[in-house]
Amino acid sequence: MKNTRYFLFGLSAVCICMIGITTLNSPLVNPIRNAVGYVLVPIQAGINTVGSRMYQGMADVGKLKMALEENERLKAQVDGLMEENTRLRAEQFELERLRSLYELDQEYMQYEKIGARIIAKDSGAWFSVFRIDKGADDGIRENMNVIAGGGLVGIVTDVGANYATVRAIIDDSSQVSAMAQQSGDTCIVSGDLQLFREGRLALSYMEKDDDIKDGDMIVTSNISEKFLPGILIGYATDIEIDYNDNLSKSGYVIPAARFDRLQEVLIITKLKDVEPEADE
Amino acid sequence: MNRNSIKQICINLFLIVLAFTVQTCVFPLIPVLSAGPNLMLILVFSFGFIRGSRSGIGYGLVGGLLTDLSSGGALGFHTLIFMWIGYVNGIATKYYYEDYITLPLVLCVLNELAYNLYLYVFGFLVRGRLNFGYYLVNIILPETIFTVVTTLLLYRLFLFISRKLEEIEKRRDTTIV
Repeated sequence: MKNTRYFLFGLSAVCICMIGITTLNSPLVNPIRNAVGYVLVPIQAGINTVGSRMYQGMADVGKLKMALEENERLKAQVDGLMEENTRLRAEQFELERLRSLYELDQEYMQYEKIGARIIAKDSGAWFSVFRIDKGADDGIRENMNVIAGGGLVGIVTDVGANYATVRAIIDDSSQVSAMAQQSGDTCIVSGDLQLFREGRLALSYMEKDDDIKDGDMIVTSNISEKFLPGILIGYATDIEIDYNDNLSKSGYVIPAARFDRLQEVLIITKLKDVEPEADE
Repeated sequence: MNRNSIKQICINLFLIVLAFTVQTCVFPLIPVLSAGPNLMLILVFSFGFIRGSRSGIGYGLVGGLLTDLSSGGALGFHTLIFMWIGYVNGIATKYYYEDYITLPLVLCVLNELAYNLYLYVFGFLVRGRLNFGYYLVNIILPETIFTVVTTLLLYRLFLFISRKLEEIEKRRDTTIV
């Protein structure tokens, strides 16, 4: 019994030391993480596939009935859309011609991307961190930006040989330097566990006179250290002047990416050139 | 090391890895579950409770390391709390009585609260998130309820496995003597 207690205290001391060391210098344990990843990731990927197949199978039966009704409705809609599509395509050609004429910046569209599947999420509801099935072997590097559904999802925080860990922008500790697309005024978008349950992110550090209104597109800013410029984060809402200092404004962002049903994500393989600094 | 103890270690490791993968890969797929049961916690505390402090620490150590290494946070953060949970529940093993389910359920609630409080204090409170009431109602309580229900279902299974493991151990003892 006494031995057990000494053993526990010894191990606890080791743990506390490791917490200290890894908080300051996290690449130190990467070899161990890698080794565990080699064993664990194939298992996780397998179970994830089996699990999602089973779930899909069950869900499909339920959806079939709804799908039949929807099918009827959609058939009618297709005809309408077809006509609209033809019209829009003509306009698209016109837009492209005008774009090349004005040499508009299309950089965001031209980033190289890699697709990856989410194979595991962090246990519990406290943190919004997930693991994807591509790693250093596929060209993923730390600090690469992750997008899905046209919006920013998060950033790669940790890379193993065959997996990578992504911290979502909705995680409570996430902060992204952002700006309003129209005016270019900068602000900070931060994740908040409480707000996200309402489907929102916090938007802060705006000057009172900044031109950011409800419904404005919020994109990653030029001055961000890790995020490439111009990636859509979401839309501003409920912007109000802070009445305790009357100098700044704050509000909320409704994210463009849908976080509740994320399964596949895209990783932009271009890194921001600026020398990366300490996290947050 | 003889063959039986290797077999034992393998069964234990298999259980931990299974619990971990199901928790991280399968539960998030089910959208109805806004909170999932904490399988790893159930595993650590019930084996600590059934088999004593030493097993509890062992389970906590392996399970915690697995959680830490895959979450990408500071190494040792989960290991520390899981080890202590295994140890403390191991102390309660003297009140252990087969087929008696009330005490494990009470322990389960206490463990869940302790574990989540630890995550809240060191993950959130240190960054100035003071609204504990909100987190209690929206995160801690749902997870606790799910975990207690799952414990109710899994505890007997763990008892069965633990009994099998003991049999293996006894067989080993007799071969040595």
